[in-house]
Formats: sequence, structure tokens, C-alpha cells
Amino acid sequence: MSTLHVLSHSPFTDSRLDSCLRICGAEDAILLCGDGAYGLQNAALQGKGVKVFVLAEDSQARNLPLPDWADSVDYPGFVQLCVDYDKVNTWL
Amino acid sequence: MSKSLLVISRQAPWSGPSAREALDIVLAGGAFDLPIGLLFMDDGVFQLASDQNARAVQQKDLGANLQALELFGIDDVFACNHSLEVRGLNAPASAQGLGSDAIAHLLDRYDQVITL
Amino acid sequence: MNTLTVGARCLELDKDGYLVDLNDWSVDVANALAAAEGLALTPAHWEILELLRGFYAEFQLSPATRPLIKYTALKLGPEKGNSLHLNKLFNGTPAKLAAKLAGLPRPTNCL
Repeated sequence: MSTLHVLSHSPFTDSRLDSCLRICGAEDAILLCGDGAYGLQNAALQGKGVKVFVLAEDSQARNLPLPDWADSVDYPGFVQLCVDYDKVNTWL
Repeated sequence: MSKSLLVISRQAPWSGPSAREALDIVLAGGAFDLPIGLLFMDDGVFQLASDQNARAVQQKDLGANLQALELFGIDDVFACNHSLEVRGLNAPASAQGLGSDAIAHLLDRYDQVITL
Repeated sequence: MNTLTVGARCLELDKDGYLVDLNDWSVDVANALAAAEGLALTPAHWEILELLRGFYAEFQLSPATRPLIKYTALKLGPEKGNSLHLNKLFNGTPAKLAAKLAGLPRPTNCL
């Protein structure tokens, strides 16, 4: 069973991303949105082998370059991800 | 067959409503006989510390409430070992300690997850 | 505002008829609350009300039906800890009505 983890808090002020990476399964993926998009600047996400998506408008608003280890999705893409994964875990 | 639910409670007990809300979801689910699991991680493990005094901050005794989980049919109560260790807490008797890999597998076992 | 008059005292009730201040509770208050529900309390009722007050003292919450049955069975045995016995005593809604008469808050997880 795969899980899409949705993170909307900056990883530089908050432990959600660290905790998420610790318990992330091999089939899981992470979607960054809101201040969670700053995760693109965080070395912790690099080379973890976990699939990373970012909501395009949030990375654009923050002028964050898209690294080669992440994919950008729009809102319809976000919805499609929610359908593709068995469940969604939003780190409120 | 009703869907199983894992609730991850990761906020400390007294600073906001999250810990209480996570417990309310679990108790409501238990009352409806849902297959339900509760995992304490990050600051959520502070909820498990013994001899806290809710009255000192004019709140209801969350620790006493947690003791009722078994009567509400909630037998699957877990705590994140890593979160306990970095906070200098011992594994509590009321929750089963799990390593990070075991938690990843735990997520797989449930149909739905709510993290508060 | 709902009120209940017991002797010379006038007690405040919430919209569902539960005591607003749990400290207002007494045996006389329980009898008055029961009378308002058309119920005369017998020793069999009192046994459950005392059990509920013990439950609240221990866990700081009012039990929903299933935990109430489980706890009653644990403390008083299965011949009392079952839905038939409790439903008969408390007009078919033991968790809500017994909590009310025992002076506890409405069970929050009992929809």
C-alpha cells in the first residue's frame, strides 16, 4: 500500500519533513505545498530515493528552482496523485 | 467491512487542541467499532509522560482519558521509539514502542491515516 | 435557560438537561433528574450510577455505550454488564441517560 504524504510547513522551522522521511515507505511519495515547497532547498530530501512532487504555483510564487530529483504538478496533477496513491497522509 | 484508520498524534498535550482532537477521533471511532490504531510520535509522545497535572493549566486530564482506550476497544496503541529516545522518555507501559521501519509498515496496514 | 428545582435550590441545566456544574450533583438531585425522565430509581439503578461516577473519577470522561457495557461487565459481572440489562434500566439509552442522572457531562463520543 502506497501513501502520498502532503507537507505544507517549512522544513527549516518544523520537524514534519524529518519525521515523514523517517517513516516513509519505499512505495510512498511526498507532495510539497505552501511553505512546504521550501523543502526543495533542503538537503534532507536529496538522494533519499523517495519520489518528490511540488505544487507548481507554490514553488513559482517563492521563485524556487526545480531540482532534478523533484517533479512539478498543477492542481489537476495534485488531484491525480491523490487518486494514484492508496491513501493520503496530510501532515497537519 | 469498515475501513481501518490510523491516527498519528504528534503534538504535545497542553499547548493546543491537537492532542485532544486526535484522542476524540480515536474514541469516536472506537465507539463505532472501527478498526483503529493510535500512534504517538514527535512531541505527541509527551502525552504519555506520567504524573502530569492537567489542573495546573485548567485543562481536562488527557492522561486519565488515555487510560480508557482499552475500554473503548482501542488495543493498537503505539509510540515512536526515536521520538521517545530523543526526548529522554522511557517506553510507556500503555503503548507498544516501534522503530521507524516498523512504523512504515504500520502505515501500510491501515486503509486511512490522519496526522494531527 | 433550563433549570431544575430541588428543595430550595434551583440548578442550571444545559439544553439537553445535563447539569452544567457537576458539583451540583447529590442523591436528591439524581432523584429529581430521574423523576423528570419519568423514572423511579431503584438499587439496580444506583449501582450503575455509582459505577459511572467511578468511571468518571478514573478516566475523566463519560463512556459511550460500548465502554459502559464493558466496564459494567468488568466491575459487576456479565449478568449486569450487557445491553439488555442497561437498556431496561435506562429507557434504551443507557450511556446518555445514566450519565445525565449520575451528574456527568453528556458522552461526547456518543452521537
